Amino acid sequence: MTRHLAGALILASLLGASLVAAPKDSLITDAPDITLTAISGKTMRIADLKGQVVLLDFWASWCIPCRKSFPEVDALHRELQPKGLAVIAVNVDEQQKNAYTFLEKYPHTMTIAFDPKGAVAAAFKLEAMPSTMIVDRSGHIRFTHQGYTEKTIGQFRSEVLQLLAENQ
Amino acid sequence: MSMKVRALAGVLVLGILTTACATVKPWQRGMLADSCMVFDADSATAYMTHWQEAREGSMGGFGVQGGGCGCK
Repeated sequence: MTRHLAGALILASLLGASLVAAPKDSLITDAPDITLTAISGKTMRIADLKGQVVLLDFWASWCIPCRKSFPEVDALHRELQPKGLAVIAVNVDEQQKNAYTFLEKYPHTMTIAFDPKGAVAAAFKLEAMPSTMIVDRSGHIRFTHQGYTEKTIGQFRSEVLQLLAENQ
Repeated sequence: MSMKVRALAGVLVLGILTTACATVKPWQRGMLADSCMVFDADSATAYMTHWQEAREGSMGGFGVQGGGCGCK
């Protein structure tokens, strides 16, 4: 009886350990076909943007590196939009008022989408904030970035230019 | 099996069953990123801590930086 009890305890411990160490998901190659809600209230599907290079930038008002990345990504949008780049800045704030306060401080021209429940972030399997995905004209996620440093915007630019030059 | 062993086993089982952990996703860390979650919220304390760490060769001894938002 004592042995059975000990066995049950060990099994329970192992089960608990396995729940903590969940397997890591495999890499995504295709952008998930998901619907986004823009600040204007309009909905848009990422699949509808096929033919364009899409830069999806996940940001939040509480994310300190986003204060640096947001205006620089917007400048990239202004520069490369005429060449076929679409930038969607996906906000993941649970309280939208915080996002609006942030947006008042940072003028922008790129499309802003709201994802307060994290459905889009979950679909893209975000691992850090900020995160950026660059999708090619065929709808494949070609580049993924986590975090933001001084060099990151240069990488975005060269990767976007590379994808813009493909399949013209 | 004596009552003592059973009671001990019961406590162990209860301990295992009541443990839990929650995974906070990167986009759910708004509350953790709040300034009230940072130990050295004011810059004066942060500077003094930094100075003390450098003087005593104890970098990291006063805790790690960041409020837990997981921002990279």
